[in-house]
Amino acid sequence: MSFVAAAIAMLIALLPAAVVLVRGEPPEAVVGYEFITAIVVMVLALLAQGFQRPSLFELPVLLAVLMYGSGLVFIRALERWL
Amino acid sequence: MTVASIFSDVLLGLAVLLVLASAVGVLVMPDAYAKLHFVTPAALVAPILVTLAIGVRMGLSENTGESCLALVFMVIASPYLSHATIRAIRVREKGDWRPEGGGKAPGTEEER
Repeated sequence: MSFVAAAIAMLIALLPAAVVLVRGEPPEAVVGYEFITAIVVMVLALLAQGFQRPSLFELPVLLAVLMYGSGLVFIRALERWL
Repeated sequence: MTVASIFSDVLLGLAVLLVLASAVGVLVMPDAYAKLHFVTPAALVAPILVTLAIGVRMGLSENTGESCLALVFMVIASPYLSHATIRAIRVREKGDWRPEGGGKAPGTEEER
């Protein structure tokens, strides 16, 4: 139960980053995006643990890998085109 | 309630506090350079605390192993992404990441 509560609390922490993502300049939005992806990796791990679903632990692992690639894509776009 | 579950809850509480404080920092800091300082604790320290919490609660299990795997990817990716972001923002603002006037980057031998 504590893992689910921690996941919910971390989801609340996404709100300030979402505000930055929506209302900030492009560089600030990229920073907000990186913050959100890092938090969502933890939320997925916490929910998998909280609901006792070991198979769902694939999701945070995959997202952690994708976070790296997608972050680089946004950074390159920020540097060249945005 | 066992000692392991109490310790696990303390670790989770620390992770949540860290993430909430970082979220406030990301919101209130004035520019992207300052905001990026608050991404690192949430992307590096909090995942370590969460993985420790899962490890303490579950012991050596599949859940702990997969959490450690996700943690390894995050520990590798986060510093690199932070550095690349700072570099991209500087290139966007100045046109080049190096100091103006064709000088060497800070910290190189010639500048010392």
